[in-house]
Formats: sequence, structure tokens, C-alpha cells
Amino acid sequence: MSKRVILHVGTPKTGTSYLQDVLFRNRRVLAGAGIHYPADRFDGHFLAALDLMRLPWGGLEAEAVGAWDRLAAQVRGHDGTSIVSHEILATASRSQAGRALTSLGHGDGTEVHLVLSVRDLVRQIPAEWQENVKHRSTITYGAFLDQIKDPRRESRIATWFWGVQELPDILNRWGHDLPPEHIHLVTVPPAGGAQQLLWKRFSIAFGLDGIDLDLEAERANPSLGAPETALVRRINRAANQQLAPSDYRPLVRELLAHQTLSRRGRSPRLALPPEAHPWVGEITASWITEIERRGYDVVGDLSDLVGAPPVLKYADPDHPNERQVSGAAVDAITALLLEGARLRQSEERLQRELHDTQVALERSYLRPTYRWREKLVRRLQSGRLGRGALKAYRRARGRSSRPA
Amino acid sequence: MTPGPEDTPGVRRAWGWVAHLLSGGTTPWRVWTDEGRPGGRVLPGAQQLELLRRLNLVGGVTPELATRVLEASAPGRGRPDLELEGSVDRLAFGPPPVDPGDLPDDELLRVATSLIADDVVAAGLPEPRRVGTTRPWRTRYRLVGDPLLADPRRADLIARGRPPGGRGSVILVLGTDLGSMLVHAWTARSLAEGAPAWRDWFDSLARSRTVPARADLPRVARFWTDRVGIDRVRIVLEPALVPRLVGVRRPLATAPDLSADAVDLSRRVGQVLGLLAEPARRRALLHQTLAPHLATHHGPGLGVPPEHAAWVHARAERMRDGLLRAGYAVHGDPDSLLPVDHVGASEPSDAGVLALALRLLLEKPLEKGK
Repeated sequence: MSKRVILHVGTPKTGTSYLQDVLFRNRRVLAGAGIHYPADRFDGHFLAALDLMRLPWGGLEAEAVGAWDRLAAQVRGHDGTSIVSHEILATASRSQAGRALTSLGHGDGTEVHLVLSVRDLVRQIPAEWQENVKHRSTITYGAFLDQIKDPRRESRIATWFWGVQELPDILNRWGHDLPPEHIHLVTVPPAGGAQQLLWKRFSIAFGLDGIDLDLEAERANPSLGAPETALVRRINRAANQQLAPSDYRPLVRELLAHQTLSRRGRSPRLALPPEAHPWVGEITASWITEIERRGYDVVGDLSDLVGAPPVLKYADPDHPNERQVSGAAVDAITALLLEGARLRQSEERLQRELHDTQVALERSYLRPTYRWREKLVRRLQSGRLGRGALKAYRRARGRSSRPA
Repeated sequence: MTPGPEDTPGVRRAWGWVAHLLSGGTTPWRVWTDEGRPGGRVLPGAQQLELLRRLNLVGGVTPELATRVLEASAPGRGRPDLELEGSVDRLAFGPPPVDPGDLPDDELLRVATSLIADDVVAAGLPEPRRVGTTRPWRTRYRLVGDPLLADPRRADLIARGRPPGGRGSVILVLGTDLGSMLVHAWTARSLAEGAPAWRDWFDSLARSRTVPARADLPRVARFWTDRVGIDRVRIVLEPALVPRLVGVRRPLATAPDLSADAVDLSRRVGQVLGLLAEPARRRALLHQTLAPHLATHHGPGLGVPPEHAAWVHARAERMRDGLLRAGYAVHGDPDSLLPVDHVGASEPSDAGVLALALRLLLEKPLEKGK
């Protein structure tokens, strides 16, 4: 039974990919310090979250069957501190959260600490729209904003957005059974601050200070500029019907968005429209008041949630600068050409190998003994008596070489 | 939904309603006034409570089922568990409370399908049918084409010791009117890897003017012609002829006859099953456990939406002409590929699917496939 479980449930776009990458790659070092990060693969906790919430995810859910129970069993089987981390857990319902906490040992002697990393809505709103676009959505930024502003919150976009972003509600669902001192909010510092400040805060919240971890990131979820996101949305509109999810992920999300378009750092960044700032400011103020009232442990500063003031020159991704979109499109075509060329070379190499194998196989068939045997079988098959003899031989030999 | 310590007249009224529903009550929330004492850690969500009320309206809810309903969570993406309007004050955060009577059927179905998926997994698979000894003198065949026509007949033949394939096999491309083949294609996908909603799926076909691969008989026939030659490829448009063509006397097994609502319920349950069973087992559970059970609940079958009838008819004519022009042997009337007037539903209805889901939940324990 774990003595202590650190359960990190979100929110998305708060440096979680980096954190999980560091935890995954440093499993052995952490184990040496008595901290268990139970994962056989990088996305192990993501699959467990899908399983817990019965959440389909473009076919990936087939790999998630039973994943939460396995993860919970590994946590319960460790006598020390265990860490569980995935940002989509933020959207779990109260009963799913209750089931998760119980399965991790809450109420049975285990001390569960809930960690929620949080970032200002000024950055989270455009980031969430961009995530939607990188997951095949064709919704415009304007329509996305309209949906999340609608107080009824009936659309799938709105329920998901507020499910993973509305801090007091997430903490209600996950934390209402936990003492406030066991609930830790890690605030993401404003843009342009010290590079390692967020990691420092994570390190304090997770109790990783003093452990010599390799902090070189291999995985991250880089963001796109406004024209690049507009381009991916147009690609979705054109290709969604033909492109299967299993092809979309490596080609659009990874190759185009993450490896190519995210490198165009000079294009205007996605931002919150200036007219949305008063609305966001009002929500944020009510959240800060509520969080202060509840008395949680804050690692960082709640004023980080206020966010930056409106940008002076707003780039609307629904009406992008077409020159910039063309530039992004040329980069995208170049990347796809290079990938196409790589695949052609790979195909040619495989064809050469296949040809060599076929030649070697034919050479072995051309040995005189093989030809004699083949001739004999043909002759036997042409007559009734021969077929009977062949059948008897095959039965005596104990296996059939007849065609299926 | 509300933390236990909260004790207000609204919360007490909500607990009173919970107790009422747990004792089989059917009074809607909006007219409920009596207060009650907390009966759990948190108040269940509005979706779960309304689903239980609907089950009570049908009758026969066991205490075990009532508890399962109130403890269930809606799977997948969608609205979270909601508060009851009037039980709590509207907060500055969280989804707005609702009158459960105003919830759309689709929201209640999300909870119901999760429970049915659990029942299907618990029921498991039927004992595998004993496969007869392979008959060496059997007619060599392959059954391809429409999945709902070909797959159950092939499975039956395998069980009778007549597996497909072998030297000189005749390729029987099974089909029927194109409208039915499109319904069959969506049904087969709903019972396998999963499908979009009927309208979304059909609208997408209509936009691209394509038909699914296995309903595209000229394409299937061409594929096999390239491999075995046209002499061994037959188009079979009269499924009753299949036993004679494969050399058996007794009729062959057919797919369960599912109503439009039953297929849609299978599709929705299949989405949840995707997280409870590996793909092969999920498919087997849908085919062998859920579908035979749903077939006992009769209802109107699915047909081509009227606004798409014209292009389906034109496509069927092209299909017929293409097959005749290519010179394939055809068993049955080539005109039977043309869509027939269908008396049934042009799409499943959420209300019908929910009514079916309620009946299924109340018929527990779900029997293993027959």
C-alpha cells in the first residue's frame, strides 16, 4: 500500500507533457529516491485516464482496456510515494474521481495529495482552440469563443473546455473529500519569465527537490502561430473525410503541426481577442476569490492567473494574413515532399530486399531434388491412384501441404 | 453532486426526491416538494436521477439496478453530471443546474449505454459453436460482398464443416437492393469498429457519391476477377439461392433482423464497449451477445432517407449496368439491385433508442447470445 500518492489531474497546456516526459525518462532515478512513477510507456497514464472516464479517443481507447485498474494496482503495490499524472483527468465526473481516489487507497490509509497546475485563461482559451484544431476540428476561433461564452454550456466544445479549465469546479469534483492542505495549485508563471521557474514549482509540489533528474525535454506540445493554426484548420476541412485518425496523428499533428509549423516562430501568436478580456477578467477574479477562500496550498502566485493585458496588434486567425498562410503552406508542402521522398526511398529499399529474397527462394526451388519432387507430385495428381497414394503419404506424414 | 455537509432546504428536497425514486417513485422533480435526509456522500447527477425516474415509469426496477443507475457516470465527451435546478444556488462557476425533465433523451442515453455495456461484458460470450469435421467433398466457395448477407452464412458453413476457399473456389458476390446494402454496411460497421450516427454517415456518402467497399459489387467482383478469372465469379442477388450454390440443402443462418433503433443502440453501446473489451472481443460481444437479444425487440427497420433516394437509385442503375456489361453470371434478377420502396424509419430516433435501452436494462440479466 502506497503511503503517499501525488495525483496530478491537470490542467492541459500547463507544461504537463514536459513534466510527464521528465518523470517517465527518470523512472529509475525516482525509484532510487523511493518515488514510483508506474508507466511502461510514455502515455500509460493517458490510457488509464481514458479507461477511468470511458472516453473514446480516435481508436486509442482499444489500448486502454483495464488500464486504470492496472495503474491503481501498481500504485497500491508500492510501499512509498507514487505519482499519477494526466491532464485530461481534470474532466472526470465526481463519481469517477471518487472511484479513482478509492482505487488509489484514499480512505484506506493512503495520503492522497491532489496537484492542479493552472494557467491564466488569457493563454488557455487560444491554446484550447488550437488543441481542438490539432485534433481535426474545423471550428473557427469565433465560433469556439461563442460556444464557450454561452452560459448554457450544452455543446461538446463548451463542456470539454470548462470541464478541464474551470478551476473551482475541477477542485470541487476531485478535492471535496480531501483536506485543503493536501490540495496544491501550481501556477504557470507569465510568459517571458525565467525558463526553469515552472519546473521549480512542479519540483516543490511533487517533492522532487534534491533529486538529480535529467531535465532535457524529448517531448513537448509546442504551440502554433495564428496563420499556422488557420492553415491546419483549412487542411482539416479539406482532408478530414479522407484521412483516417491513425494517419492524421503522424502526418498532420506530428509532422505538420509539431515538427514543421511550430518552428515558424516569427508569425503572430494566437491571442485572446481584446474584447474578450473584460469577460475573462471577471471569471478569473471570481476564481481567485474562491481559491483563496478555500485555503489550498498555492505553489507560485495566484496573481499569475490574471494574465497579460490585451495585445496591441491582434491577429485574428479567422481572417489571417493570406501571405503568412501561404508561407506556412509552402513549409507544409516542403515537409510533406521530404516525407514523401523518405517514404519512396524506404519503399525502394524494401522492394530491393523483397526481390533479393524472392530470387534466393527461387534459387532454392531450382535445386534438382525440388524439381524432381514437384514433377512427381504433378504426375501423381493427374491420376486417381496417384491422388490416393499422395493422400495416404500426407496422412502418414502427419501434416497437410495441400493449399488452404 | 453537492458535498455532503451542505444542508439547505433545496438539498434536503433533492434527497427527498432521491429516496422517492429509490422506492420506485415517478413524480417529476419540478413538482416534488418533500424533504429527505442525505442518503449518500454526494447527490447523484440530474441525468442519473431522471433515468431512474424513466425506468420507474416502465416498472420493475430492482434495488440493485436503482443503485447502479445513481452511481453511474456518463461515458465519453458530453455534459458533466448536472445539479438539480432549485436544489443549489447558481454558483459563479460550474455548469448551470437543470430541471431533469428538460434533459434531452441523448443525455439519458449516455448513462444508459454505459450500464448496458457493463451488462453485456458481464453476460460474456456464448459457448463457441462446435465446428463440424471438414468435408473433403464439399463445394469450394467464397462468400463475399454485403457483410450482413455473406458473414453469417459463411460462419454457418464453417460450423457445418464447409470452410471457404480451396482449389477452384467459386466466388459468390452477395448483394441485394442498394438501399438495403447501405443499411447493412452501416449496421455491420456499428457492430464492429464503430460508426458515426446514421445521418452523418449517410450525408458523408451522399457528398462523396461513393458506396462502402463491400456494397460496391462491381468493385468486389473486379477484385476477384483479377485473381481467379471471370468464369469463377458469380453475382448472387437472391440470397435464398446460396445453399444450392454451395451444395447444402438446409437453409443457412442469417443476420438478426434489427430495427433502426436497435442498430443505433448497438452503435452507442459499442462505443462504450471499446473501453471495456479488446476490439475482437468487443465485436464478438456485439454480434453474439447484444444483437441476438436486440432482435427480439421488434421495430421499424432502417431505410434510405427520402432526400437521398434519387442518387442511390441512379447509383444502383449504374451498378446493375456495370455488372451486366462486364459479363458476370448473375443469379437472381439484376433489377433487384434497384432500391425498393421501404416502409420503415429514415433514421433512428433518440426517444425510440432510449425506450429500447430502458427495456433492455429492466430485462437483466442479459442472456448470452443464442
